[in-house]
Amino acid sequence: MLNLRIVALSIALLVGGCSDPSLHPHADGDAERGRALLDQYGCSGCHRIPGVRAATGIIGPSLDRLGRRVYIAGVAVNSPEELARWIRDPQAVKPGTAMPNAHVSEQDAHDIVAYLYALR
Amino acid sequence: MRVLIGVVAVGIVVAAGAAAFVYSGVYDIAATDQHTAPLFWLLKTTMRRAIEHHAREVHVPPLANPAVIAKGRTLFVAHCSRCHGAPGVAPEAFALGLRPTPANLANTGIEWQPSELYWAIKHGMKLTGMPAWEFRLADDDVWAIVAYIQRMPYESPREFRERLAASASRAAPAQPSSIAVDHSASHVATASGGNARQGRHLLLQYGCDVCHEIPGVVGASMPVGPPLDHMGLHSFIGGVLPNTRDNMVRWIRTPQTFVPGGAMPDLGVPDRDALDIAAYLESLR
Repeated sequence: MLNLRIVALSIALLVGGCSDPSLHPHADGDAERGRALLDQYGCSGCHRIPGVRAATGIIGPSLDRLGRRVYIAGVAVNSPEELARWIRDPQAVKPGTAMPNAHVSEQDAHDIVAYLYALR
Repeated sequence: MRVLIGVVAVGIVVAAGAAAFVYSGVYDIAATDQHTAPLFWLLKTTMRRAIEHHAREVHVPPLANPAVIAKGRTLFVAHCSRCHGAPGVAPEAFALGLRPTPANLANTGIEWQPSELYWAIKHGMKLTGMPAWEFRLADDDVWAIVAYIQRMPYESPREFRERLAASASRAAPAQPSSIAVDHSASHVATASGGNARQGRHLLLQYGCDVCHEIPGVVGASMPVGPPLDHMGLHSFIGGVLPNTRDNMVRWIRTPQTFVPGGAMPDLGVPDRDALDIAAYLESLR
């Protein structure tokens, strides 16, 4: 899935010249592990997430192209730090949000961010 | 020779057809109607490539200076936000009627190079409503605005307000949308009714396409906020309201009531229009 995206992106770059926008920086962290964790923490129950087979949830928004999103939850900027903060403690970022605290560890959030940032 | 005559004949027919099309006046230039997808692509690609081409020799000065960014933020509110809006601040009503709808620049700040932003601000863009600022702003001021636009996607709406207030010792901060929010005429929307087809049309009239990816709305592919595909299936609106028709109408009318300080501004959508928009969003499954 990811490989397909990379191939598609390469083709797009070739066809479209060097016009690919300078996006948010890629986050470090283990994206492959992050992908597995998205399932382990139940993210897939509420969100559609490309590349995560079980992630067909429709409770919350699709996470497709999250790496390009400008704002998270409509209140925070989409930086790796803010996204990790949102994943670890959504109620602190947006009180009253339907997104629960899933007790994601710092390292796990780091890896999840790496995966989500690869979705462009 | 025969081939040449054929080519000339085809050329004449095509030119005559084009002339007939232009002079007949049938082409619909109404700003209320969306472009067809191929025409939108043509216009947008032409614009993007032209900016890239013309900006290639622009020399970019250092832009990371916080004082320059602060100056740019103030200038942005003074000169740009009436059309483009600002984080959590709606454009003014007239700007929502422009076609193309002025872009949300938080996304542009990510996707465009500083040289391209500078060129577009300085020279403006024909047929878009974007004015040229070359003879209206000093060069340093244009660069300050570029510096701020580059910074914009990395500031939350709350940080935007706080920093603007901090640097505005004399200038008044941005008024959150002076548009005529029609509170007097508001009545409680009923759970039924609403014309989905009209709703799709209205999404463009209120500039929803500037921030959201919306199936069925040409050009609505912006990743500023979440995509609205499958919206009819989602359980929540804005992460805080159960997804009912009534709640969607309330959310569309006054999102700031439910997420104070959020990026989605109150856009002055009347009840009737919000109901139609809600009906369309509900149909996205």
